[in-house]
Amino acid sequence: MAVASAPAPTVSGGPSLPARRARSRRRTPVFDWMALPAVIVLAGVIGYPIVRAVQLSFTNSNLLSAGAAKSVGLQNYKTLFTNDPVFWQALEHTAVYTFVSVAAAALIGLALALATENLGGAWRILRTLMLTPWGVPVIVVAFLFYYMFQDRGGVVNQALTSLGIIHTPILWLGTGKWAMIAVIIANVWSTTPFFLLMFTAALASVPNEVIEAARVDRAGPMAMLTRIKLPYLRNAAVLGSLLMVIQNFNNFPLIYSMTKGGPVYSTTTLVIYVYQLAFDQFHLGFASAVGVIWLIILLVFAGLFIRLMRTNPA
Amino acid sequence: MRGDRQVHPARKFVRRPLRVAAGVAALGLAVTACGSSSHSSSSPTSAASSSAPATVTFLNWADAETATSPGITAMINKFEQLYPNIHIKAEPVSYTDVEHQALLQYRSGNPPDVVEMQGNYTFDLAAAGALQPLGSFATSSYKSNIIPSELKLGDINGQLLAIPWTVAPFGLWYNKVDMSKAGLNPNDPPHTLNQLLSDAAAIKAHEPNVIPFGTDTTNRTYGLDQNWPFMKTDGAQPFTGTTANADTPGMINYLTFMQQVGKNGYTVVNQLGGKFRDPAAHNGVAFDIDGPYLEGVVLSETHETEAQFAQTWGLTTIPVGTTGKAYSTPTDHQLVMFKTTKDKQAAWTFMKWLSTSDYAISNYTVPIEQSIPPLVNLGSQSKALLTSSPFYKTYIDDILPTVILPPWGPSYTAAYTPIMTTIQSVMTSGVSPSSAAKSLQSQLQSALAGS
Amino acid sequence: MTAVAAPVRLAGPGRLRRWRPGRAAVVALILVGIAVALAPVYWMLATSLKTPFAATSLTPSYFPHHLSMSNYNELLVKGVVPFKTYLANSVLTSVIASVVAVVISALAGYSFSRSRWRLRGPTSVAVLATQMLPLVVFVGPLYLLLLDAHLLNTYTGLVIGYTSFAIPFGSWLMKGFFDSVPVELEEAARVDGYGRLSILFRVVIPTVIPGLLTTGVFVFINSWNNLLYPLTLITNNSHQTLPPGLLDSFVGEFNTDWGGMMAAAVLTTIPLAVAFFAVQRYMVRGMTAGALAGT
Repeated sequence: MAVASAPAPTVSGGPSLPARRARSRRRTPVFDWMALPAVIVLAGVIGYPIVRAVQLSFTNSNLLSAGAAKSVGLQNYKTLFTNDPVFWQALEHTAVYTFVSVAAAALIGLALALATENLGGAWRILRTLMLTPWGVPVIVVAFLFYYMFQDRGGVVNQALTSLGIIHTPILWLGTGKWAMIAVIIANVWSTTPFFLLMFTAALASVPNEVIEAARVDRAGPMAMLTRIKLPYLRNAAVLGSLLMVIQNFNNFPLIYSMTKGGPVYSTTTLVIYVYQLAFDQFHLGFASAVGVIWLIILLVFAGLFIRLMRTNPA
Repeated sequence: MRGDRQVHPARKFVRRPLRVAAGVAALGLAVTACGSSSHSSSSPTSAASSSAPATVTFLNWADAETATSPGITAMINKFEQLYPNIHIKAEPVSYTDVEHQALLQYRSGNPPDVVEMQGNYTFDLAAAGALQPLGSFATSSYKSNIIPSELKLGDINGQLLAIPWTVAPFGLWYNKVDMSKAGLNPNDPPHTLNQLLSDAAAIKAHEPNVIPFGTDTTNRTYGLDQNWPFMKTDGAQPFTGTTANADTPGMINYLTFMQQVGKNGYTVVNQLGGKFRDPAAHNGVAFDIDGPYLEGVVLSETHETEAQFAQTWGLTTIPVGTTGKAYSTPTDHQLVMFKTTKDKQAAWTFMKWLSTSDYAISNYTVPIEQSIPPLVNLGSQSKALLTSSPFYKTYIDDILPTVILPPWGPSYTAAYTPIMTTIQSVMTSGVSPSSAAKSLQSQLQSALAGS
Repeated sequence: MTAVAAPVRLAGPGRLRRWRPGRAAVVALILVGIAVALAPVYWMLATSLKTPFAATSLTPSYFPHHLSMSNYNELLVKGVVPFKTYLANSVLTSVIASVVAVVISALAGYSFSRSRWRLRGPTSVAVLATQMLPLVVFVGPLYLLLLDAHLLNTYTGLVIGYTSFAIPFGSWLMKGFFDSVPVELEEAARVDGYGRLSILFRVVIPTVIPGLLTTGVFVFINSWNNLLYPLTLITNNSHQTLPPGLLDSFVGEFNTDWGGMMAAAVLTTIPLAVAFFAVQRYMVRGMTAGALAGT
């Protein structure tokens, strides 16, 4: 153990702290051109569209109408808040889809990381095998689970039936509740490897002295896990969850390919809803209004998260 | 290939620091050059002189489907052989995306010339002002040989904006093998919606793996087209013009029927109509509402003969509801020309040849699309083929007389989402049909007011 | 790095005995984990090797009885679906986007790490938060922007779209890697008279190659997976990428060709899986160094 993960802390930035302090005393530019390309790209391709989206949200812009878009003031926002139940449903579905997926993937990823922690040598191939789903493109995950979840001719129902677990086919993609479960299962399958990787890396960075000390104190396996290891995994968990929450909030390919947001609106998340408003119904103006509100919600969420990071510094 | 050039500067300056600035600048140049060159490359085609072959782009979904793609490619090859001065560039796109694609292409300045269209899609593109009026091309001799109701399909606000290609109304396909297995008389398909429900129950009891009733309930205009005959036969018409009329006994009847279908698992809710065709090839669908394409897809998968197919499958009119009258709607494919087309005469020549020539009809429309040509007087080859087809008589005598047109246009575009999601919700939840009808009424009122 | 220690751990005398019941659970968990991870992949492969008719069966067999390459043949040789075009476009745009994004992110990351205007703690999370901005909100305006710039239906338009959304996370990841490089290295180089760029590329960059790879693969994966941008910004099959191309080809009106769909799925997976497994080892370190230390 002691020999084993010794290099890990070095990689995770051991000597950089004193180095940073040393650096700040040196002559360093306040701002330099190196960040300029990034700033330009972000301003052009993110900044401009935000401005344009806000602008569009006050118009009746419609790709179908031959004429130019007219300003409609706050009309789109009024409709959104007073007469659009789908928006609120979509908001709820986004939250359910995101948080259930992330929580499940994180827990499974943690369990697998702990289970494979002590694998050595050639046995580590087992962990690599478990990472396989991450090498599968999202569009393929969507096709694959769409196929497997067919209620007739789908292998999931066939296997469940032959095992005697179900007697009539589950209408996976044909009922609201099951459709949400089906897309979440597909998503968890696809994102668990990320957490497995994240937690594996974090476990490797637990200082050996701490483990050794606990062993000398004859800490049981449960105590070793809850008192020693889990605290070290906190950062990985918070950060990994944040990254996955971000990704899932905006996940488009999986749901769009599997259910197109249906049946009814049961799997319509905000991303799907905005896309359909803009490119199926061609109401670019109204779609932009929904997008702007969604943006504000996300910024509030990000603000809360930053607060969390500030009060619990790494 | 343009991209390859971009890779090199980027790779190099990892090793040669001093070239970074130059590399970034070059990259920027490459990116802009790339953009402008691809832009300018699109415009010179307009300058193509009359001696060079005219290129007509043909956006269509026939080329995107395995069952029809070889057929349409053969048609294009034949056409180019007959008209060496016209080159057809096929652009395949799926049916579901064709409207979206054509419209985005139009808005983004690279519109197609000829597009395969269907139903409400044509009306949307007409509303967007994208379509070329065809009145000056369609001579009286052309018009006199087109079935009048088919010609009328393309007549939007008094202008001929689309011409008919294939005639293909919805009918009820019934699988005799499945019916026999379930103890039903294979020659007595359901004639009423109640019979359909009881037959579906028998199928489900005897063959749990078979989908009793294939019906499209997706949230798209095709879904509403397919359900429109079912509403009409129950005496429902959820809107007329911009007036919502959904909270009626007829609509409640219809929604009650759909709730039975959904609640008992007789169909797969939110499944594209085309998705029932593969299970159908395995006798996995007992009753299927579909156009004539079912036959083409099943044959392309099973490699059976037409006669074998006709032993397994029967075709009849859509069952009747409380009004006692049978209805159907068209899934006819049309051809439209975009206003922006450079060589309109060439485009028209292709459209006309593809939809009315004896060669195209006898080698594509009938054998591949399994559809009926839109002509009054058929060519000799087409005639021989059609009269030998086991289902032709059913189409002409039974189904075509029941065809009505859904009220396509801007109201239809605004109304289909509320209607289809209401149908899906009664099928997948316990909401009562009467309260669903009430809620639909208010949804339609606000949707139609905005349209 | 754990290779040396592994045998020691497994052979650790007390451990084996004390962990008996626990070990059984661990072994079971590993087996279930592997089975669940691999079963769908197996099913994809098995279906792609069935005949098209067998693949649409209502009671699909768990093993392909007659191995058939016809689905692959259809995709790669006969070609109703312009699969090779989609594949080439996906490779081209994803690779270019990765290279461009890595260069821009490395420069920005270095700047964030070393300049006085550097990012730390919450500020770096704020940069990350731009990653949270929903693509879909931009896709309408971006469509209009690229329309005005005549960049719809071009590779450039796609690369710009992919790159812009990779830069925030990429810079943040790279900043984490640069933070772990001791400044003393640079000081020494400066004494030797190297300029800032020379220091960056001769001294610093070679030590963060894993970081560049991690960032590059991250961008590659995201670009390879992107459906929304090509779906809206590309309306021309000759420039279309795999996700919308396949969606269009296999979820069409007429029928569903499961065998063909799964064969396309296998071929779409291979480049990504190769890229992923090639740098998988670095990814773990990348996560530790870049992500964990970066906050």
